[in-house]
Parts: sequence; structure tokens; C-alpha cells
Amino acid sequence: MATTACFVIVSRNDIPIYEAEVGSAAKREDAAQLHQFILHAALDIVQDLAWTTSAMYLKAIDRFNDLVVSVYVTAGHTRLMLLHDSRNDDGIKSFFQEVHELYIKTLLNPLYLPGSRITSSHFDTKVRALARKYL
Amino acid sequence: MVDPANTSLGRMLLDEISPVVMVLRTPLVEEACLKNGLTFIQMLRPFCVFNNIDVPVRTASDQPYRLQKFGLRLFYESDIRQPNLEVAKERLKQVITQAAEKDVSELCSDLPQINNAVSRAENEVLPSWFQFFNKELVHTVSFSDHEAFDHPVACLVVVSSKDDQPINRFVDLFNTNKLPSLLTSGAMDPKILKHYLLVHDNQDGPLEKATKILTEMRSTFGSDCQLLCINSSQDGVVEHQDYPWVLYKSDDLPSQPRRCFLNVDDFNEIKDLMQDLSTKHVIPYMEQKIRVLNQQVSATRKGFRNQIKNLWWRKGKEDVVDSPSGPTYTFNSNESQIRVLGDYAFMLRDYELALSNYRLISTDYKLDKAWKRYAGVQEMMGLAYFMSDQSRKEAEYCMENAFNTYLKVAPSSQQNATRCGLWWIEMLKARYQYKEAATVYFRVCTEEPLHSAVMLEQASYCYLLSKPPMLHKYGFHLVLSGDRYKKCDQIKHAIRTYRSAMSVYKGTTWSHIKDHVHFHIGQWYALLGLYDLAANHVLEVLACSHQSKTMQELFLRDFLQIVQKTGKTFEVSKLQLPEINISSLRVIFEDHRTYASSAAASVKEKIWVSLEEEMIPNLSTARTNWLELQSKLIPKKYKESNVCVAGEAVKVDIEFKNPLQIPLLLSSVSLICELSENSDEMQSDANSLLSGLQNDGESTKLNHRDVNFENSLLSVSDVGFSLRGGETTVVQLTVTPRVEGILQIVGVKWKLSGFVVGFHKFETNPVKMIRKRVQKAKHPHSDNLKFVVVKSVPKLEGVIHPLPKRAYVGDLRNLVLELRNKSEFAVKNLKMKISHPRFLNIGKRESLNAEFPACLEKTNSDHSGVPANPTDASHSMFLFPEDTIIQGETPLLWPLWFRAAVPGNISLCITIYYEMGDISSTMRYRTLRMHYNLQVLPSLDVSFQISPCPSRLQEFLVRMDVVNKTSSESFQVHQLSSVGHQWEISLLQPVDAIFPSQSLMAHQALSCFFMLKNHGKPSTSEDEISSHFRLQGTDVRLGTQGSSEPLFDIASSPLADFHHCERLHQEILHKGDTSTVDFILISRPLKNDNNPVGSDPPHLFSHHACHCSTASTSSISWLVDGPRTIYHDFSAPFCEINLSMTLFNSSDVVASVHINTLDSSTSDNLNDATPVQPATSSDNQEGWHDLSLVTDIKVTSDVLKVRTSKSTPVESVSPFIWSGSSSTRVQLEPMSRTEIPLQVSVFSPGTYDLSNYVLHWNLLLSNDQGNRDSRSSGKCQGYPYYLTVLQSD
Repeated sequence: MATTACFVIVSRNDIPIYEAEVGSAAKREDAAQLHQFILHAALDIVQDLAWTTSAMYLKAIDRFNDLVVSVYVTAGHTRLMLLHDSRNDDGIKSFFQEVHELYIKTLLNPLYLPGSRITSSHFDTKVRALARKYL
Repeated sequence: MVDPANTSLGRMLLDEISPVVMVLRTPLVEEACLKNGLTFIQMLRPFCVFNNIDVPVRTASDQPYRLQKFGLRLFYESDIRQPNLEVAKERLKQVITQAAEKDVSELCSDLPQINNAVSRAENEVLPSWFQFFNKELVHTVSFSDHEAFDHPVACLVVVSSKDDQPINRFVDLFNTNKLPSLLTSGAMDPKILKHYLLVHDNQDGPLEKATKILTEMRSTFGSDCQLLCINSSQDGVVEHQDYPWVLYKSDDLPSQPRRCFLNVDDFNEIKDLMQDLSTKHVIPYMEQKIRVLNQQVSATRKGFRNQIKNLWWRKGKEDVVDSPSGPTYTFNSNESQIRVLGDYAFMLRDYELALSNYRLISTDYKLDKAWKRYAGVQEMMGLAYFMSDQSRKEAEYCMENAFNTYLKVAPSSQQNATRCGLWWIEMLKARYQYKEAATVYFRVCTEEPLHSAVMLEQASYCYLLSKPPMLHKYGFHLVLSGDRYKKCDQIKHAIRTYRSAMSVYKGTTWSHIKDHVHFHIGQWYALLGLYDLAANHVLEVLACSHQSKTMQELFLRDFLQIVQKTGKTFEVSKLQLPEINISSLRVIFEDHRTYASSAAASVKEKIWVSLEEEMIPNLSTARTNWLELQSKLIPKKYKESNVCVAGEAVKVDIEFKNPLQIPLLLSSVSLICELSENSDEMQSDANSLLSGLQNDGESTKLNHRDVNFENSLLSVSDVGFSLRGGETTVVQLTVTPRVEGILQIVGVKWKLSGFVVGFHKFETNPVKMIRKRVQKAKHPHSDNLKFVVVKSVPKLEGVIHPLPKRAYVGDLRNLVLELRNKSEFAVKNLKMKISHPRFLNIGKRESLNAEFPACLEKTNSDHSGVPANPTDASHSMFLFPEDTIIQGETPLLWPLWFRAAVPGNISLCITIYYEMGDISSTMRYRTLRMHYNLQVLPSLDVSFQISPCPSRLQEFLVRMDVVNKTSSESFQVHQLSSVGHQWEISLLQPVDAIFPSQSLMAHQALSCFFMLKNHGKPSTSEDEISSHFRLQGTDVRLGTQGSSEPLFDIASSPLADFHHCERLHQEILHKGDTSTVDFILISRPLKNDNNPVGSDPPHLFSHHACHCSTASTSSISWLVDGPRTIYHDFSAPFCEINLSMTLFNSSDVVASVHINTLDSSTSDNLNDATPVQPATSSDNQEGWHDLSLVTDIKVTSDVLKVRTSKSTPVESVSPFIWSGSSSTRVQLEPMSRTEIPLQVSVFSPGTYDLSNYVLHWNLLLSNDQGNRDSRSSGKCQGYPYYLTVLQSD
């Protein structure tokens, strides 16, 4: 498992609808905002790259010092972004695919308004379990 | 594509990579120049750059080309050395600090808009000092020994004509050991081109002396001698239109141009001098040197043989030197010569030649592991590629290679790497590759925060300039840069960058980003002392529920500190702490409706309206008076707004929520209200207009009126409380207007932690407009928050005590209603209505002081106690006596009777209507609404079963089942009464047999039997009515045998009234039964209970069971009467026995009864389809009948057949026959009885069951009664009647 990892789902309007610190490292107070800054800045790169490929998984697209941003763009242009310091490409890909499935299940919930924050605790536990499994 | 020379990099290179001329001068030269405020070099510098020199140049190739742009760099000999890093850093810092000073005013302006930033051109976006900063950075690495372009090409030796022995001075100048180390250490050829210059100050004297010295010089040094005359202007100041030094002012000139003695002639002379120096000396010298070096290089290095040799030679040398800076090369080494050749070629714009030499040398350096030199060459290659506009890829590759190599030999070459990076960036920028440029800027960042701050800021601008703009990156790098500025105390720069970043992050939903930016910029503003701005920014992050507790504490603490430092009360509109739930806003106000408690106010208006429907005056009649009055008092436009009364509080419930995990302390929570007096209509209009205008302008400001003035008009409540983390509290705030006028509730304000005033204005107007059109507003708060305050009118306050919160079913208590009127004006015409008359009953005034429960006890006199209320009090309202007037201090007390009728949660609503004694008041009437919630627990469950006594007519057996359903209470059953004077109840057994323990413990069940007799006359309808007046009945004492406790009079007021209510209520359940009986069971709690005596007021429990049906299913009952045992001498043919059958019609219609006596031969009669129902079995008679099969399976005709066949005598010949008529038909009047004679003939002795007869009855219903009862006819089997006939002897 990666020591630092921050997972964010960004809606098509650039609003984060789900955030989770899934790293095993001890949580630092200022880390949260740094992670957000890095991920937020990476949106520019995603914007450029998303239209150059038909694949959903964009691999590692941006880096800041030793932190790498990997992105997975769904068909609805929802972006699953992972900030990590480990290089486990296959694991990250599987992680993204499974989270995508979970996300689709959330979308199927008639009470969930697409683009709103995902507050389901079930979703949260599932994502964290997947993070433990793959990252 | 732009000409590379015209790009900013091209211009930069022209500045930086051009021949260096070392200047050696005597102090007197400097002195002469300083008269103009310029040093010698400064004086010459504007004339060192030639944009169109147009000189033919021939380097290595035979083909000459023309050089257009050229420049010389002049340096004093003392400056030609590697700059001191510390000094350079200090200088850079100074530059940045200076830049910050300029921007102070900007820091306070509005935030920049991102759209503006994007649309602006590059030059506008970038602060101008960036370029200067970059230049200074580049200069930190000048005069390195590995770069030949910084090595002086020529030497200008300058002596003043005033000097003694000028010729000797010339020699001395060059021979001093002050020469730069580059020349002395052997890094470069010490034999350089010398040019001798004699400076003559025209102010010092005539020219002759100077020309004499010049000729002397020429004879000594040859032709390279010149004379320069300056300060030709005799009279002092000359104003120049185009002051050529202006361009260089920013560098290091004193800012004010001083006196200038240079005139146009001097300018031209200097210009000529420099042009001459360039074209006639420097360039030819370089040309020549290139040719010489080129020849040498070709001889030693070009060609296959030389390359092999070189390679072999280098291999052998490999292990010789391995110092960090690589091997040292002297000026006459091959490598240095090639480098010089390359640099000279570069400076003369022969990039092909330069490139080929750089390529040659770079492999050598690489093999020698002379990394710094290798990197330097790579750098030059990249620049050469760029300038010759050749392969871009190559150029970038070379730059990257150089950059990485410099970094590899870090830290000594960090500065070189920076310069290389900056050039690389310029190269990328020239090709509009801003994104790549930004990443290079990022890589240029070093440990040193100031340096990297500037680099990061430049990187951010690159992101902004890239197409399409990468705003996210822009913001991020600005923030990074701002952090580093802060680290080196450049707070103004830090704020500047964050302010720019704010344009990106404004309104972002990335919570941590927003918090970080706002919090830090706020903190920094505070450091600068701009507390207002600081507070505004920190305010944004206060409601940070996503942050950890420590962060929340930090934010709040800093905010409070900042606010404290502002030194004034800080007012914030829509302060986020605490949150106000506007949708929860409830306004409780009292117009003609007043509430006794807040609980009453929360009851739905609908309930009250339905309750008050009959009480309040009819709208049409009331309105005429009321409106007339009101229209006089109240301007028309406020007619639709709410009405409240002066001196009475308007209450507002507001929900406050603490979004944080830390506790918040709130104080002075109060409403913001405006009250405009309407002394006359005009003024009120003006007033309201004024306030309307104010509202438009200052929706985010609080207006402070004169507090004293406000206080005289209205008073608002002031609440303080603390909210724990995450807590939600509803707070009730009140405002009490003191005078008539228009009251507007504007908003709510509060103080956070003692000195931050937050306020929230209720914005109702848009909502109101919409709602009004659709329908009456649904929620109280969406009503207009505007009230018309009318003159104070009396208001009743009411309370019922002691109304219990919990009670057991049947609990009977005596309560007192207390009504007070605080005002001096009287109220009259009181009426009262109760929503649940089963629970509350209005007593008589006389019983106010009566002792309970003694007042209910039966006394000896027949008409004891308070007679029951004659009016039908159950559903209509109660009118207080006409003369009831409540006024002043004396309260009105009125007795109420309470009885918990049914278990459950009961919401009791009581409304009291009253009218004002004073006719002139705006309101003619008001209502007082009281509301109580009550929990009623089940106690005794009483049920009665009545079945007719088979042996007696008009007598019934009553079984009473009592179950104590409480969990702990014990009851003592006191008395059972039957209601109605025609009924008489009596005990079957002595009481002791029934109640051995004399009390009912919790969960205990009990059954006992009574005999009920209907005696005397059949009741008529008149009796029914009269029974309302006076309940008569018989009582059975169920207490201990010897107890002398008096029985309670069920006819007394509360019992009878409640009984009446119960009757009305239970009637619905038992519809249609005509002959019914009511029972009242009175019990009391066991005295010696756990709870001490006296704590509870004495109370009774009464249980009413009404409409217990006495009737069997058929409305006809009969009794066969006759002898049971007869002695007869059977010698006589047969024995005739006379019987009589008494028939009773209990229905209220005429019945026709038809009796068929059956003999065995006619038994088939019974087998018809309708089952014959035995009279003994009735529907509601479970457990109280003979155990014949019929009750269970009466519908099955098979079984019935068996029974009937059994009932017929076993002998084939019937031992008796019915004599007389076999079929009799009679008409029975309602509630009447008749007697029919029957006769039986018996032929032999024995015991006979005379039940083989059948009664057919048929009710003769009139039409309107036809559908009332399903059973209008029936058929009954006879009762068993045993007759024993004995042989008489």
C-alpha cells in the first residue's frame, strides 16, 4: 500500500464530489490542502489529454516532486484522480476500474443527483477497501 | 517564424554574448566624467550597441558576409572577475524588495478578475522587474574561466590629458598587477588587443596640449591611439532632447540627470570613437584570430587521422585528472583554443563555424569528464542552433543536456544551471511553448526560497499565457510562489501572488484550497496591519466543518485576534458562525388570537379555527365594525399585514446551528427591528419610504439608530448561550413594541465571543411577492414580517392547575381554571370551548370550594350534590355567566372536572373567547387558546356481559370482568352503579367472596356476577329525557363489608356529565340496541400505596360502560310457567296440564308472534332451511350459556337435525301431545307482555321435556324503520321445560 495516496472524484464541473485520503502514512495537517492543490492543478493536464485518447485510463499524467497524479476519465467526463507515490500501474488501473463500477452503481441510485457529493458511507468503505487491495 | 535575433532571447544574447572590452583608466579620467554624473563606462555605454553597423566580415570561409548588429561590453578591470555570490544575493533581494514597495497600493484594491488576466498581453501581465531580476541572475555567473565569450577581447587604456607624464601612465596602467585573474592565471591569452585613448576635458584648457600628447603617443604606441574631447559645453547645463542614458537609468545611475556638460559635438565624438573601435580594431582583430585559430584547429583536429589520434590520446589521459571541475585547460591548450574559436565565431554571428567547433570540443570535454565545460559548450550549442534557426529539437536537447549536466556537478554550478535554464526558457517562449517553459521554470527553482519564489511566479504566468490558458496550474504555482515569498518575509509579494491566485480559486468548491488561500492571505494582511481586509478573508474560512478540530480552533482564534486588532466592533452580514436555519424561522404573534403557552402556539391553526368556529362573531357582522375602526387607524397599504398589540411581545423562534466541533459562545442575540410611529398618516408614509430606501442601500450593513430612541419605541430580548460542537438550538427571541405604528422585523444579530457582531437579515420580499399571488402563505415566517401595531388592549392569561401530565384511565379530578387580566380594562362575554369534552367538563361555580371527593358522596337527602348540568354541554360552548367580568388584579377562578376517558396521548385544546369592555379599542374580541398535552395510561379494563336469566323474565345476569392493566398501581373497587331508575342491580354473592383481598393488584383480573332486574314500568321516551336531568340508579357497594364509606352519587354533576359524554360517544358503537343498561364502576387507588398519602390529591376513578345490551338477539322473550310436578291417576284416560306462556316484546314496534306446538309426527317441520336458533344462545354471550353444541355450530343444519331428532321422544309414539290449539298467533304491542294459555296432555307417568314448540315472531315494521334492523323476524326453539308426572295412588 502506498504511503501517500489521495483519491478524488471530480465531477464534470470541476467540483470534487468525493474525497478520501487512502494513504497509510500518518495524516498531516497541511497535506490535505497540498494534495488538493496538486490534484486541482492536474485538471488542466487532464483537459488536454482526455481528448487525445479513447482510453479511459490516462496513466500518470502529472507529477509534483515525488507525487504522481493518475487519472481515469469516465464517459461522462467525471474524473477519478489518484495522487500517489507508488508506481503500481496495474494496481491503479484495477483500482480505477472497480471504483468506476462503484460510481456507476451510485449513479443508478434514483435518489442520487448526478454531480452532487457522494455521501454514501457504503461507497466510502468500498473505496477504502479497494485502495487497500490494489494500492 | 520571427528572426531569432529579434526575439527576446536574441536581444538578450546580443547583450550578454558580445566582445568584452576591458577599460583601464586613471582617476583623473573618471573625475572628468563625473562632472556629468556619469562614470566613464556609463558615458560610453549608450554608444556601444550598434543596430546597423554594416561591417563586412570574413571568418573561416572565403565568402564574406555583412554584420548588422553588434555590441561591445565595457568593464573596468576590477569588475572582470567572478561576482561574489553573497553580494549578488543581497542585490537580488533588494531588487525584489524595491519591487514590492511599488505595489502597496494595489494590495488593497479589488481582487483581479481572471478574464482580464487572460486577455491581457504578455508584457502587461508580467511585472517589469522580472526581466531585470533574470538579468541579475544571469550576471551572477559572468567571467567564468570556462566561457571564452566573457574573456576580454580588447583593452581600452584611458589617460586624461591632465595626467602627469601621460605616456608613462599608459604603460603603468597595463602593467599593474591589478589585472583580472583571468589574464594572469592563464585561462586566457594575456596578449590582447590594446587601444590607447587620451581624454581631454575642454573645460580644463585648450586642445593644444592634448594634441601634443597624442602625437607623442602615436610615436610611442603606434597608430592605435585616439583623442576624446568631452565637456565641450562651456556654460554648463545643456538640455538634451534624447538623453541617451535614460535607457540605462534603471541599472545603477543616480536617478536625477545632473548637470551635463556634454554637447552634441561630444556625443558625436564618442559615437565615432566607439564605431571606430569596433569596426577598425575589435572586429578585424577577432576575424584574424578566428582565421589563425581555425587553421590551427584544422591542422591538429580536423581530418580522420587527427581524430583517431585525439581519441587515442584522450583514452590514455583518462586516469590522470578527476577533479570535480574537470581538468584545467590553459589558454594555449587545444581545447581552449577551440572554445575561443567557437565563441568568437558566435560573437561574429558565424553560427555554422561556432557549431562545428562546439561539437568538436564537446566530445573532448565529455571524454575528459570536464562536465562544467561540457555543459557550457552544450549550452552554447543550443544557443547556436537557436540563433541559426536550425533544428529546434537539437537546440532543446542541447539546452536540457547542459542544464542537467550543470545540475549534476552541483552545487558549484547551480548559478550556471539557472542561467542555462533562463535561456532555455526564453528559447521556448520564443516558440510559444509556454507550457514547457513553465516546467523549466519549475526546475530552475533552487533551495533558496526567494529565488524559487520568483521562478515559480514566472512559471505561473507561463501557464496563464499558454494557449489555452492553464488556469489551475496558474493558481497552484502562484500559491507555491506565495508560500516561498512568505518564507523570506516578502509579505507584499506573497499577498500579491495570492491575490492573483484568488481569481482562480474564487468560489471554488475544493474546500481545503479555499481555506488555505483565504486563511493565509488573511494572516498576511494582518501582518501588514490591514486588519479589515484580513478579517474579510479569514471570515471566509470560518465555517469549515470539514477541517479538523485544531484547524477550526486556529481559524477562529486568528479571526478573533484580527478582529480585536481592528479595534472596532466588527460587523458581518451573514456570519457563518453559527448557521441560521432560515426555513425553521417561526414567528408567533398575537392579534385577536392569544396563546396561553408556546405549546398552544404550535398547534395547527386549523384546529383552533374549527374549535372557534361558532364562538367568534360571524365574519360579516363583525367585520363591519372592526374594519371600520381599523381603516381609520391603519393605512390601507398595511391592511394585509399582520396585526400585533402594543406592549405584547412578538416571538420569533430561530434555529442556530454550530457547524464546528468547537464550542461557540454567543451573546446579545437579539432581533433587529424597525418601528415607525404613525402619529399621522403622511408621516408614516414618509417614514416607511425612508426605511425602504435604506433597505435597498444597506443590505449588508447594520444601521445604528439612536439606541435610546429605539428603546422608547420597542424593547427586544437579549439572549446569550453557548453552542457545543455540532449542536443545534432553537432560540426564542422577542420584540415588544411600545407604541402604535408599523413594526418590521428586519433580521437577527448576535455577538460571537463577545466582540464580533454578526447579523442576518431576513429576505422575505421576493418570497412574499410570489406567495401572495398564489395563496395565503403557508408558513408563519413567509408571512410578511411587517406588523401593524395597534393600541394595547386587554389580554387574558389563563392557566389550568393542577392539570396532570399523566393520568390513568378513569381518573377523575377537580381542576381550577384561572383567568387573569392584567390590564385595567375589563373583558366580558366570556365563552369557552373544549376540544375534548370527554376529558374536561366545566363545573359549577358553586363547586369551586367544594371538597373533593366528598362533594360527590351521597348524602341522606335525596337530591344531594350538585345537580347535573341541564344543558347539553358536551359539544356546544360554555357561556360564562353574563355578569362575569375580569379586570385588574382579581383573577377569575372556575372549577373544571377532569376525567381521563381513553388511554393514549391526548392533546387538549381549550379556547376562551372574550370581548373588550372598551368599545373604542381596535379589537372587539380576542380569544385565548390553551393547550395541554396529556398522557393517559390504561388502568382498569371493565367489561360487562349481560344475558337474560332463563328462569325469570326481565331479569338478567351480569358478569363484570375487571382487569388491572397497570404495571404498579393497585385499585380498590368501590362501587358499581347501574344507571336508570328502571334498573336495579344487586349482588349475587357477598362481597367478601368476590374480593378476598379487597383490592386489585397490578395485572390482576377479576370476574363477578350481579343480578340485574328491570323492575316496574316499561320506560317511555319521556323517561329517557328525564333521565338526563337526573340520573337515577341503584348502587352496589363493593368495598369491604363493614365499611361505612358513603357511596358516590352518580347523579351528581361531574359523574353525570361525564356519563352523558360517554353515552354519546359509545352510542356510536352500540347503535340500534334499544334495551340497554349503563354501568358506572367507581374505584379509588389503594390508600396504602407506595407513594405517600397526601402527595397525590384524592381522586377517584370512574369507568363508564354504556349501552350494555340486555336484549338477546330476538326481541321477543317468553317464559313458560306452570306446575312442575303433578300427581295423576292414570286410570283416567289422560292428564291435562295447563301451562301459561308469557310473551314479552322488548322491541319498540308491534310484533306478531306465532307459536307452533309440535308433536313428533310434525318433526320434519324443523328441517326447513332456516336454522332454528335456541333462545338461550345470543351473539354476545360467550362463556355464559349452556354448553350445548348449538352455539358453536348453529349454522350447520345437520347437527341441528341430530339434536332435534334427539329432542323428540325416543318412543315412536309421543308420550304427550299438545292439546289446545296447535298454532296460536298474537299481536304484541311494543314493550308489552301478554299471556297465552297452553295445554299438554300426558298419557303415562314420566318426565317430559316440553320444548318441542317453535316461536315464529315477526316485527311489523313501518316503512321508515324497515332498514334499521336486520332482524325483523325469527324463529325460536322452545326452552327445555321439564314436567314430571307421577302416578297418584
